[in-house]
Amino acid sequence: MNLIANNLTYKPSEEYHLNEVSFNFKEGNLYTILGRTLSGKTTLLKTIAGLLTPDSGAIEFDGKDFLKVPVWQRNVAMVYQQFINYPHLNVFENIAFPLRQRKIDNEEIKNKVMESLKSVGLVGYENRKIQELSGGQQQRVSLARSLVKNAKILLLDEPLVNLDYKLREQLREEFKSLFSKGLADETILIYSTTDPRETMELNGEVIVLDEGKVLQVGPAKEIFENPSSLKVAEISNDPPMNIIEAEISNEQIRFEGIEIKAPNHLSKLTDSGLKIGLRSSDIELSENGHEFEVELAEISGSETLLHLKRGTIKIIISIEEVLNFKIHDKIKIDFKIDRAYAFGANGKLASSPFGENNG
Amino acid sequence: MNFKHKYFFLFPGLFVLIGILIFPIIFVVRLSLSGWNSYNPGLDFIGIENYIRLFTDDPRFWESFFRLSFLSVTTVILQYVIGFALAHMVWKDIKFKRFFRVLFLVPMMTTPVIMTVIWRTFFHESLGPVNDILSNFGLSPKWLTDPALAKFTVIIVEVWQWTPFMFLLLLAGLLSLPKEPFLAAAIDGASPVRKFIYVTFPLMAPISIGAIIIRLIEASKIMDTVYVLTSGGPGTSTETSSFYIFIKGLREFQMGYAASMSFTYLIIMIISLTIIAKVLTKLLLKE
Repeated sequence: MNLIANNLTYKPSEEYHLNEVSFNFKEGNLYTILGRTLSGKTTLLKTIAGLLTPDSGAIEFDGKDFLKVPVWQRNVAMVYQQFINYPHLNVFENIAFPLRQRKIDNEEIKNKVMESLKSVGLVGYENRKIQELSGGQQQRVSLARSLVKNAKILLLDEPLVNLDYKLREQLREEFKSLFSKGLADETILIYSTTDPRETMELNGEVIVLDEGKVLQVGPAKEIFENPSSLKVAEISNDPPMNIIEAEISNEQIRFEGIEIKAPNHLSKLTDSGLKIGLRSSDIELSENGHEFEVELAEISGSETLLHLKRGTIKIIISIEEVLNFKIHDKIKIDFKIDRAYAFGANGKLASSPFGENNG
Repeated sequence: MNFKHKYFFLFPGLFVLIGILIFPIIFVVRLSLSGWNSYNPGLDFIGIENYIRLFTDDPRFWESFFRLSFLSVTTVILQYVIGFALAHMVWKDIKFKRFFRVLFLVPMMTTPVIMTVIWRTFFHESLGPVNDILSNFGLSPKWLTDPALAKFTVIIVEVWQWTPFMFLLLLAGLLSLPKEPFLAAAIDGASPVRKFIYVTFPLMAPISIGAIIIRLIEASKIMDTVYVLTSGGPGTSTETSSFYIFIKGLREFQMGYAASMSFTYLIIMIISLTIIAKVLTKLLLKE
């Protein structure tokens, strides 16, 4: 049973929320929608769920026109970024709610709910009130509720975004093991997120969305290795990929007084207006490197992020160490140039270190 | 720390409370133990004679009380159902939402006594427009002079007058509900009807209980409608407790006896409303 969308467009005001979005989702797969805030992820999920009707376009599921099916008959489940539950019901009844909407006998409901509680690690909480739970537990309840009904389509709209760091890591692990256990062979799982790392870890088919438009579709590895455009490279990296305007001639890359020998995959490029893309992790501190000035140093976890400047170039590098730098310090860095990407003047990928030349 | 003077600051409130609540209640109790009437005004002491008379020799009071119970329960249920339906209607996105919200409140802004006079004219057997229309179909119901129909007329007028209040409370309640559970319910497979039964209604339970209790208290004081519309008639068929107490106390001037009725009425109301509130809480909140 495939979920097929054709040219979904939704434009409630000046801006597109969805702009001719098409896809073909196959059962038993995990799809990750990656995009920044306001890129249309939630709109897309709501459209699939039936909470929104697109201005034009079509959705087909199981060979039927899905837009003609009312929400409550679509058999989809959804977990939201806010923890949405029923405040007037206890944990057990919250999870049982979708089952109570069908004609299922109490014994079976009980079994299914307990099983679902077990899978999210909330056994023993069934008689608690929702308000007595922590944010993470509330989100687990809504996850359990979405799992219990065995929906054909499971939508997760940035389910981890409102949790604190620790819980996010923990739940993400749980998600992975839940998903890998193969929820159900015929479930289509759609997961939206802003976090490139989450996308890579979930390792499903990725749809990169920006301003309501699909920029690239492909396996997570493919998106990581061969981002089709500058925009995708920006969205699928955190911190965003460094983009440097450069010139390539005589097998040399030149920018801001720096000259580096071009690696094989870049040396043949001759286009003007080239942009070189380098991940923040592909730049390292080096004694005999090029001098840059520190604009800002932030320590996040066990990492140090340095915002550097040289002339008109601004870049961010990440170092897997906690280091202290002062603003305006001069430091020397080296580029792992063989990992560099090149994008043409039109923003499209010209060459990637991972062989495939999309240019 | 010991602030003796804090009692000084309690005094104004306490003074008002004693003046307008505690003293009148104590005075009514004392009055009910007296034989104060027009021949014999004054606070003499006759023991519980008034209460004995009330409990053994005055079926009219108890009839009026049960009639009152019937009228107030019926009107409040109707007000709740109609009020909820109207509130639910303008809660959704419909056309002219604002217009309807104001329209439904209009009856509440009118003066009850004057509206009742208009209703009386409306239902007048030979001059009223209602029977003028019905006569075309060969009907001329006695809206105000048939014992059963007169009760029905009182109910119509009460419901018309007070549904807006219920509507207002319930609409405020609906507007304060979180939106999220409704989204979740739709996705969880609840049809609009089931969504109402399993989400809207239970979420509204606390507000519903409050609104029903407030209206029950108000409705049990029903007096002006009956006074203007039927004067308790025909016979005593629309006479309510407060109206009967009013007749005894302020028309026949049997102050002592009226006081004993008032006090009995007060005790019964407190007990029954407490029970009703408990039962409603149990039914609607399942606690």
